[in-house]
Amino acid sequence: MARFVESTIAFPYKRSLGPVVGAFMTALTEKRILGIRHGQDVLVPPMEWNPTTGSELAHDFVEVGPIGTVESWTWVPTPSVQHPLHHAFAFAFILLDGATTPLLHAVDAGSSGRMFEGLRVAPRWRGTRVGRIDDIVCFVIGEVAETDGEDTGSAPEPVQRMDYNASITYRNPVPAATDRTVLASRDHRILGLRCPRCDRVYAGGRGYCPIDAVELSPECEVDLPSVGTITNFAIVTPVPYPGQTETEPFVRAFVLLDGTDVVVGYQPVIELPADEVRVGQRVAAVWASPAEELDQGGGMGGAWGSLVGWMPTGEPDVIDPDLVNRIF
Amino acid sequence: MSAQTPGNAVSRDIAVVGWAQTEMVRHTDKSETQLLMEVITDALAQVDLTRADIDFTCLGSCDYITGQAFSFVTNLDAIGAWPPKRDSHVEMDGAWALYEAWLRLQEGDIEIALVTGSGRSSTGDPTLIYPMEMDPYFLAPLGIDPLTFAALQARAVISAGVADERSMAETAVRARGKGDVDALLATDYLREPLHRHDVPPITDGAAAMVLATGTRARQLVERPAFITGLDHRTECHNPSFRALDDSPSTRIAAQAAGLGDAPIEVAELQAAFSHEELLLRKVLELDGNVVVNASGGALRSNPIMATGLCRIGYAANHIFRGGNRALAHATSGPCLQQNLICILEGPS
Repeated sequence: MARFVESTIAFPYKRSLGPVVGAFMTALTEKRILGIRHGQDVLVPPMEWNPTTGSELAHDFVEVGPIGTVESWTWVPTPSVQHPLHHAFAFAFILLDGATTPLLHAVDAGSSGRMFEGLRVAPRWRGTRVGRIDDIVCFVIGEVAETDGEDTGSAPEPVQRMDYNASITYRNPVPAATDRTVLASRDHRILGLRCPRCDRVYAGGRGYCPIDAVELSPECEVDLPSVGTITNFAIVTPVPYPGQTETEPFVRAFVLLDGTDVVVGYQPVIELPADEVRVGQRVAAVWASPAEELDQGGGMGGAWGSLVGWMPTGEPDVIDPDLVNRIF
Repeated sequence: MSAQTPGNAVSRDIAVVGWAQTEMVRHTDKSETQLLMEVITDALAQVDLTRADIDFTCLGSCDYITGQAFSFVTNLDAIGAWPPKRDSHVEMDGAWALYEAWLRLQEGDIEIALVTGSGRSSTGDPTLIYPMEMDPYFLAPLGIDPLTFAALQARAVISAGVADERSMAETAVRARGKGDVDALLATDYLREPLHRHDVPPITDGAAAMVLATGTRARQLVERPAFITGLDHRTECHNPSFRALDDSPSTRIAAQAAGLGDAPIEVAELQAAFSHEELLLRKVLELDGNVVVNASGGALRSNPIMATGLCRIGYAANHIFRGGNRALAHATSGPCLQQNLICILEGPS
């Protein structure tokens, strides 16, 4: 039974809206719903292009609704965390008065028995509107629009961007070879795996030979030296983004382990300023003290387990013009 | 602009010569790379080839499902990276990887291509992942999920008289080879009008397929499954602007692939929801003489990113076993947004 790690990835997107979606979103803050004219049709939500031919539509907006008629619906008995309501509700195609295409949105109907084709519905507006489709909390039965909480008014400026904070949680299996490699690092050992077919040795616990595409079992394990030579490196200047913890330029180095053909990639350097890193520099592994937290992940590259990085040994540099080509 | 339909212009003989799929399970302990390593080995073994014989690979997978940026780079470990290979990737079902490999083989300078589709759906919660792939302005912020889209299409298909809840339940029972229609119809709705039996399982798995050009294909196997028509078409991304009781993109792709040129004996349709099979049968005008989804289809196992490629595999099996002409269909996007039709024929 494999071990699983759970990780949550968040994507805090800022989306530019453009002239058509932007106009729609700005109008939402004014409690108005806009469609766009397309021949005899009025498309809601408005599109920049004819959905059939892809030709650009003139920016000829038409106010529609806000009252509309349910054309079709389904009932959501158990909402997800992403849904607009936290109790059972309907998703429905709502043909807003004056529109020729239906808007897909939620209807807070109380029970599925109250939903039917032809049902008249009106929006429940959010009190504070920012220019997102969920400025309409949902639609409610009847022909009277509602507002949730205090109405703080329309947007002072045209809305040009919207936030969309996506977040997904995953459970991924950790290869057994990764776990064994992390465990060996606690004893300050760098574990390698030797391919029985091609004899190449791999570090980092990947668990298979990418050349021969075969899995490498525990019988393939070998101990590798914890001293080596920097073959190449990059200085990463951190760009600020949500979740970025680095603030200063930092190094990721490639280390060729002594007496082997094994290069470990993307390694941090310790007690070595970025502007002093050199190709050919001699380095030794730095191990975390037992009290320090171990990385339990199974991600790509970098140091692993108790191996936290590499520091200079003080030995003379290795002079070899081909060294720089060894990044794997 | 040329009026010619590209799908008609098959200039070379290209055939499916073998394929394999992993065990299809609700939840696997294996990584996607491990699944691919195993299934590629199995597919090649069928035709006595090794990884060194492959001239071109195209892998179909989805980072969103794997939860890892550039997950297809890790998957490359499964193809044998030496000697260097011509390689490509599609963020789509393996059926579209096959489309790209088929195009590449048309160039005539190579003979063997390998395509895969792979996905571990159990890694995340499909209900939460798929809404993020939808229109980011009007759909994603409301969390509109695959079950909701399918339910709305099912209602449209029912309203149009193409299906009803009973024929949908019958479809599900036939696909899974188990269940009692009346008992199933008495169960609660999952998303009205969909019951649980109308909905596909969550499946982890992968498939790999070997393609070869004419002469080489005939050397490798007795009855290659020649691709005589292949076309895919798409519709507007937002279901608000589509007729959900129809699938015009399927119809156009089928015409371009030459479906009407001769009778087919079997059809494998990527219908994850029971009403989709009934709609596709109507759009493709499949009569009672055509055996549809004998494999059980996506209602039996639904390894996202491989489900469409498996349809082509099962259709190829029909040719391998002596059949003459088969259709495979693959789809992508909400409510059958994009559709691919592949016609396979035995050697003449």
